[in-house]
Amino acid sequence: MWLLNWLPNWIFYAMGLIGVLTLVVTYFIKFLPIPFVYMYKTPLQLLSIAMIVIGTFMAGAIYDNEAWLARVKELEAQVAESEKKSVEKNVEIVEKIVHKEKVIKEKGDDIIKYIDREIVKKEEVIKYIENCPVPKDIIDAHNAAAAMGKK
Amino acid sequence: MKVVILTITLLLSGCTMFVPVKRNFPEAPVTLMVKCPQLETVQGDKVAITDMLKTIVNNYRLYYECSNRVEGWGDWYVEQKKIFDSVK
Repeated sequence: MWLLNWLPNWIFYAMGLIGVLTLVVTYFIKFLPIPFVYMYKTPLQLLSIAMIVIGTFMAGAIYDNEAWLARVKELEAQVAESEKKSVEKNVEIVEKIVHKEKVIKEKGDDIIKYIDREIVKKEEVIKYIENCPVPKDIIDAHNAAAAMGKK
Repeated sequence: MKVVILTITLLLSGCTMFVPVKRNFPEAPVTLMVKCPQLETVQGDKVAITDMLKTIVNNYRLYYECSNRVEGWGDWYVEQKKIFDSVK
């Protein structure tokens, strides 16, 4: 509430208290030895009631404002915590991906090495390579399939 | 009448409360942002079956590397949503 940012809280509590005291005093005003004060009894009572109403309203507003401020603080703490957790989780996910990618690369390299080391040296494979190069149509079909996602 | 309007305005201004808590969209890891590479093609007219096999193996590897990153995006979304929803 903008008014609470401008004025300190105690002003509204004091206003309520002064209102109550003034209202009480107006009931005893006739006992005072000063006669001209008595003519202000009704305006004073109205004023004190207005002060009590405003004081009570503002006391509620202060309570509500403080409850909201506490909620904001709580949310800010939760958001800070969630941002920290988010960063930690990112690190965890990246580590998992990098590890799995390393394993995939190693397995791929192992298979290529196995082809170069073992398969190409097998007699039946050597014979096959010498006599049967892969037909161009098959290579083209493979290349077309490999390039099907190209833009 | 003017006093009534002013009073109501003042009293209702107490209801204009907003929660000034800013939340940032979580940053995605750079590793996940890497685009999947194009698959390799077989080059040359006379190609040995073993060379073709090596290209195919490489392409399988590229596929698994890419699917790994796609799974990473799934994990990232699920985990970040859990964290996001935990703020209440």
